[in-house]
Amino acid sequence: MAKITVDGVEYEAKEGRTILQALDDLGVLMNGVDVPHYCWHPKLSIDGSCRLCQVEIEGVPKLQIACNTPIKDGMEIRTQTAQVKEAREGVMELLLVNHPLDCPICDQAGECKLQDYAFEYGVEHARTREPRRAAKKNVDFGPTIIFDQERCILCRRCVRFCREVPGTGEIGVFGRGDHSTIETFPGMELDNAYSMNVADICPVGALTTKDFRFKIRVWFLEDVPGVCTGCAKGCNVWLGTANNKVYRYVPRRNDAVNETWICDSGRMSYRHIGSADRHDRAMVRGELGVLEVVSLDAAVDAAAARLRALVEAKGPGVIGAIASGHGTNEDLEAFVRLLDGLGVEARGLATIQGDSDELLVQAEKAANGEGARRLGFGDASAVIDRLKGGGLEALVVMGHDLLHAQHMGPGALEALGRLDTLIVLDTHHSALERVAHVVIPSRHAAEKAGHLTNHEGIVQAVSPAVEPVGDALAEATAFDRIAAALGPAGGPG
Amino acid sequence: MLTVPYTTGYLTEHFADDAFTTLAGYRARGGYEAAKKAVTEMAPADVIALVKDSGLQGRGGAGFSTGLKWSFMPTEGDAPKYLVCNADESEPGSFKDRILLERGAHQMLEGILIAAWATGADATFVYVRGEYAFPAEQLSRAVAEAYEAGLLGENIFGKGFEHDVIVHRGAGAYICGEETGLLESLEGKKGQPRKKPPFPAQFGAFGMPTTVNNVETFSHVPHIVRNGAEWFKGIGTEKSPGNTVFGVSGHVVRPGLYELPLGTPLDEIVFEHAQGVPDGRKVKGVIPGGMSMPILPAGMLDVPMANEHLRERKTMLGTGGIMVMDERTCMVRTACVITYFFRDESCGQCTQCREGTGWLNKIVERIERGAGSESDLDLLLDVCGKMEAKTICAFADAAAWPVQGLLRHFREDFEEHVRQKKCPFPESFEL
Amino acid sequence: MVISQEARAAIDGEIARYPRKRGALLPALHVVQNELGHLSPEATREVAEIFELEPVEVMEVISFYNMFHAKPGGRHHVYVCTNLPCSLRGARDLLRSLEAHLGIEAGETTSDGRITLGHEECLGACGYAPMLRVGETYHEDLDETRAKEILDALE
Repeated sequence: MAKITVDGVEYEAKEGRTILQALDDLGVLMNGVDVPHYCWHPKLSIDGSCRLCQVEIEGVPKLQIACNTPIKDGMEIRTQTAQVKEAREGVMELLLVNHPLDCPICDQAGECKLQDYAFEYGVEHARTREPRRAAKKNVDFGPTIIFDQERCILCRRCVRFCREVPGTGEIGVFGRGDHSTIETFPGMELDNAYSMNVADICPVGALTTKDFRFKIRVWFLEDVPGVCTGCAKGCNVWLGTANNKVYRYVPRRNDAVNETWICDSGRMSYRHIGSADRHDRAMVRGELGVLEVVSLDAAVDAAAARLRALVEAKGPGVIGAIASGHGTNEDLEAFVRLLDGLGVEARGLATIQGDSDELLVQAEKAANGEGARRLGFGDASAVIDRLKGGGLEALVVMGHDLLHAQHMGPGALEALGRLDTLIVLDTHHSALERVAHVVIPSRHAAEKAGHLTNHEGIVQAVSPAVEPVGDALAEATAFDRIAAALGPAGGPG
Repeated sequence: MLTVPYTTGYLTEHFADDAFTTLAGYRARGGYEAAKKAVTEMAPADVIALVKDSGLQGRGGAGFSTGLKWSFMPTEGDAPKYLVCNADESEPGSFKDRILLERGAHQMLEGILIAAWATGADATFVYVRGEYAFPAEQLSRAVAEAYEAGLLGENIFGKGFEHDVIVHRGAGAYICGEETGLLESLEGKKGQPRKKPPFPAQFGAFGMPTTVNNVETFSHVPHIVRNGAEWFKGIGTEKSPGNTVFGVSGHVVRPGLYELPLGTPLDEIVFEHAQGVPDGRKVKGVIPGGMSMPILPAGMLDVPMANEHLRERKTMLGTGGIMVMDERTCMVRTACVITYFFRDESCGQCTQCREGTGWLNKIVERIERGAGSESDLDLLLDVCGKMEAKTICAFADAAAWPVQGLLRHFREDFEEHVRQKKCPFPESFEL
Repeated sequence: MVISQEARAAIDGEIARYPRKRGALLPALHVVQNELGHLSPEATREVAEIFELEPVEVMEVISFYNMFHAKPGGRHHVYVCTNLPCSLRGARDLLRSLEAHLGIEAGETTSDGRITLGHEECLGACGYAPMLRVGETYHEDLDETRAKEILDALE
């Protein structure tokens, strides 16, 4: 370890780390120690071109870039001297010579590092009278990204990202000097599974996502910490929320889980929260055989009554339970309590397996499969076999992954339709409704508090970012109410 | 067309002889005897000491002690080591390396051979600017001759000494003359200079320890080995020994190359050797060392051409590219040409350089068009200050110095341009 | 395939001279451009394949250097140096006269596809200004008459 002094304060840091890396390791970078920077990123290679991170080092005559200077024991660093401030002013003024005055129409406004640092470290008045470089605007870079060449400050983070993280390297810097531009190869696109991360790392509004374009000003958004529920990775996100709506996911740094990244598919999964096919009302199949909207109490009572009747007539052995990986640990624990109280042993977990990659994407397309497994929900095939063989009369199902070809597939509805009782708790509509007797709307992870266990066993918290849709209940609440409605012991016997 | 220097010395005295460009002709004049002496009679460390002692400074513009640079190469380890000959000569006003390649390729190769022996280098890459097709051809011919005669390749001089020379052509970019920009370009990438550390002696061409020297620098080496350090120190000045090949251009009667000792007064070169300004005109200003070096006004030309003296006048020797401007010349137009060049050639990495060179050019061109204001002059100096000493390489400094020099000595030209809203020199060269 | 077998063999020869393959990229681009006249996207793709690089990486390199052309031009590329020593000796007037003579502006190609005219920075001929280069050949100590003769002789 090395002892360094930064603005008079002593810190201990690892030898061999650069100044910026050391400050980042310590958690003080831009959080107690001000070293503004553009091209450096904690998870990308060192670039050294923006020149904004220059600092004074005792004994060294010229300013040094903090991103490429390894620390040494005893190093004294100063970040607030007149010389440093002047150098920062210089960089900011020079960047603004060509940068277009797009703020009023630029999505980045409000979370733009050029705005922030110009305000904090720049000159008060622009002295340039020269026409700015005219370049391409609204370049359709690919399926997810729009590029504005005029706004680009050539920090090259995007180029390094594409080369180093997904390894696809679709973009490069063409030309020289102040006519340098970032381009794709003619006819090729910026198109990889992590493409939208470039919009996060771009300090300015040069790279923005098509999805978020012109939707809402970021200063209206409240950022609620949460977790993506697209797969078992559990990438940490900020839910950008306003008007009781989630407008976007942006990755939240967690070096133990997703570093600073998220896959495009996960990022876009925020759309599931407010999608039109959310269940918002409880439903019970009436005497006419049609699902009717009812109050939650009515649905809970109906579910409890059906389960009680079956247990009394034939015992808990005819009841099966399918958990999903989409509920929280709290939801699943309540499910376990309900099932234990009833004496139901036939339990399984249905999640969908898909593609994975070497970066973040996990095969299991649910955030809490591991949580379910740790609570005793094993492979669903035994339950499904019993169901198909006619050995079950009732099924309580979370979600609808059960319908997937990997579990029941074709013939599922036929088999499920023969059940005496099918109780479904789900966030979104599915074909299960055609044969369900009770449907209880569930809350999305963005609408409740709870915990999810990712594929490595890391337990992460979610908290409500928006009000639940309609009457949606956390499954935990639903299961507890059903248990209560079944009687003090949660069941007969 | 390129002609042999009008004044010659130990470097160029045989350049008029076509035979000198052949191995046989070169050998007839004692060629490769120095290399043989170094390889067969001297230890590598002694060769380095000799070159250090001679005081030879790099002739590529930076003037760093050559022997000292050679001593930075690691002496241990199995990794291949490389020399690189910087033949990217692109500094406006410089055309000396061109003739040293065209007419003195073997002389340079002999210097490379000696340097290779001294530093333990396995191979030398000669990076020739892409536009120098004929010089590259001449060099390749000389290299082939050397291989055939066993002066390159394996077991040179029977000492088990191996060395290869690879002639590499660039593709047109001034920044590839910068040491690490050259290395990047040699490796097949854009010529964007590298952050230092690491330095080339640790991490150079293809990641291996590398020393980069200029064409002319290598060319002096055989003479130093043949004649000794004392001989070399007896030429030129105490701090700047040896000859150099000056290139004189612009408003002179006899533009061309002049091999002369360092320390020769600038006015002697311009008025005696190059025979002064034609048509009875007066000199207005002279850029002494290639376009990156600040200009000197007419009254300051009595300066010995050596760094220790030029520095006192806030300029430098650079590559000895002497550009003479007569009294007709508008210095604002000169500034336009200069700032356009630096704007075009900036590699674009560093904010200060990329945006600064662009801004300087835009301001200067606006002044030239007649739309400048008084405050623009201090703005120019301020932008220069923002560019200096803050970038990956010295290009930004090289771009700032000429503007500072022009404003230091010819501020009135700019002020007149602003006042009159047009060029006050009707006979100046047109843009 | 747009790059010929002969060119590929020449490229292989270049690759053999360098400790790492990519060192031969600039020589290879010279070979391909000499053969095809310019470095089209297709040629760039093929070069990228040979060097196991992304096409965009090769195009970056092409776009960085003055001598590489990504777009087709005339049979002859003529560049007048307009840097300082040449400008002091009338290079810009010379360029303008050549523009008028050819009926095009610098940066353009004659309609018969014969000549692309342009200007360049210092070519290392400062003592013999003004000058121009036609491809790899320098023509120095020019005046307007001589320069026009040189251009007229190009087929």
